[in-house]
Amino acid sequence: MTVKSMPLPKQKRRMGIDRKRSLEAYIFLIPWLVGVCLFFAYPIFVSIRLAFSDIVEFKGLKTAWVGLENYQYIFFYDIKFVPTFLQVIYDTLLNTPLCIVFSLVIAILINRKMVGRGFFRTAFFIPVLLGTGYIMKQLLGMGVDGTTITTGIMVPKLIAELLGASITEVVQGFLDRITLVLWKSGVQIVLFLAGLQGISGSLYEAARVDGATEWEMFWKITLPMISPVIMMNVIYTIVAFFTDGTNPMVDYIYKMNFTNQQYEYAAAMSWLYFIFALVICLLCILLMRRHIYDSGSKS
Amino acid sequence: MNSAMVKSNARKSKASRFAKTFVIRFAFYFLLCALSFIFLYPFISMIVKSLMTEDDLVNITVKWLPSRATWSNYSIAFRRMGFRRYVWNNVLVCAVGTLGHVISCALTGYAFARYRFRLKNILFVVVILMMIVPVQVIIFPLYKQYSDWKWLNTFMPLLVPTFFGFGLNGGFFIFLFRQFFMGLPYEMEEAARVDGCGPLRTYARIMLPMAQAPMLVCCVLSMVWHWNDYFEPTIYMSGKPDYRMLPSVLPSLYDLLNKENHTMIQVNELEGIIFNEAMLMAATFLCIIPIMIAYLILQRRFMEGVERSGLTGM
Repeated sequence: MTVKSMPLPKQKRRMGIDRKRSLEAYIFLIPWLVGVCLFFAYPIFVSIRLAFSDIVEFKGLKTAWVGLENYQYIFFYDIKFVPTFLQVIYDTLLNTPLCIVFSLVIAILINRKMVGRGFFRTAFFIPVLLGTGYIMKQLLGMGVDGTTITTGIMVPKLIAELLGASITEVVQGFLDRITLVLWKSGVQIVLFLAGLQGISGSLYEAARVDGATEWEMFWKITLPMISPVIMMNVIYTIVAFFTDGTNPMVDYIYKMNFTNQQYEYAAAMSWLYFIFALVICLLCILLMRRHIYDSGSKS
Repeated sequence: MNSAMVKSNARKSKASRFAKTFVIRFAFYFLLCALSFIFLYPFISMIVKSLMTEDDLVNITVKWLPSRATWSNYSIAFRRMGFRRYVWNNVLVCAVGTLGHVISCALTGYAFARYRFRLKNILFVVVILMMIVPVQVIIFPLYKQYSDWKWLNTFMPLLVPTFFGFGLNGGFFIFLFRQFFMGLPYEMEEAARVDGCGPLRTYARIMLPMAQAPMLVCCVLSMVWHWNDYFEPTIYMSGKPDYRMLPSVLPSLYDLLNKENHTMIQVNELEGIIFNEAMLMAATFLCIIPIMIAYLILQRRFMEGVERSGLTGM
């Protein structure tokens, strides 16, 4: 009889502990929860409301509901929005894979033991220090008579003559793009490096004993093991490109806000923009999720 | 005779293998050097340009080596941008903002990693949203809010949110700490609880001292991002020049040159000095020198920190 009655109080006590633990968690979360209300949820609420309304009185931010009027304006009257938007999407879709591939290659290159490892590691992080924002933007657009700094890496003249003007242009455009992308991949390289360090050396050793080549080891060991980092980097890169200060769309929204002072319109635009970024991120996650190696150690 | 043939074969293959590794090695270093040149290009060209004289700037034969280094560019840029006045603003914002991030994000990340509570999943979605929602989307409501609170033209809008886990990339740092704390064994806290240690004390005395790696990563990244950030400071500090930060001083300098039909040299009559591209580059370089020194000191430990913080464990 005593044996049978044992489980009941035990379970009751455990629930109590659960509640206590839950309370403890909320104690830890208090500052953040306050922050969520003040600096995140409320501004988002205001911004959403603005996107669907018209400011009647600026003081106290009195608004009148206008429904989708702002969005109508975006698509049917604004001649600048759609082209800029398409440009940004095009850039992001092209730059993100480039960024991921190049930073992975660079991370693999500087991960091996070699002379001057510290130097290379610092070199690849320098653009991050240079500033992702204004300094970079100006350095890129700097220069006299329209030449940008990217012209430092030019297609050699001999090759240019061989290929003809149109192909050279394409190649040059590609080189410029790569340069720009590389300058923005400092953080990604660091993350990849950390991921590569985390792969156990015994895996490679076992593969080498079995006669695998470097090429096979890359596809069969490195890539699967590093796939969670790739996923994380893809998301990070997309978000970074979308919110970058050098992005024409961000610039446009900023101008709409603080130069033209059309706050409702800017809010509508930025929500459209953000939702699109979110959709791209989710698509990436959905597409990549099946190929991600799961070590099963964490949730 | 047979053995001699084998020997010569062996020597041949040894030589060819040596040649092969040498070629691979050479290609490897060549590739690395080329890539690092691309990375260092803006940096190098900035330094080189900052040392040029006016004649060098217009002389197209001078691309890499200035005819003689002119250090006066730096002294002019130093004065022109008010370096001594604004650098302390930067240092203050960096130091306090970083401190805020380390304190608040570690706390929040710890709660998400080690506790099970109701609404945990929903709240974690909020953390993810914090990472993805760009500040540009909510900048106007924030601006309005801060102006209602009379926070404009003070450092409050930059500093206070960091103590609540917000501010620049707060979501990323929370995620960083969560990943690290998730990797620690549960026995730690259990032992502490058995010994009668309260939750806050367990956190402060046992868990936090172990989190040096993510703390360092958080410090370095937060510092670098705060130092370079110009979007929010330019918006919140537009009214009072005294509170400007270095990156937001630069635009006014750049505008000086860009507006004048891309002329390289602009004479400022008020101050009686010539301001040109070289000085602009000097100013830009001055702007990042402090953060570069700080990074170079912390570099090695930063890399180790990233590796150990388990950020990449997903």
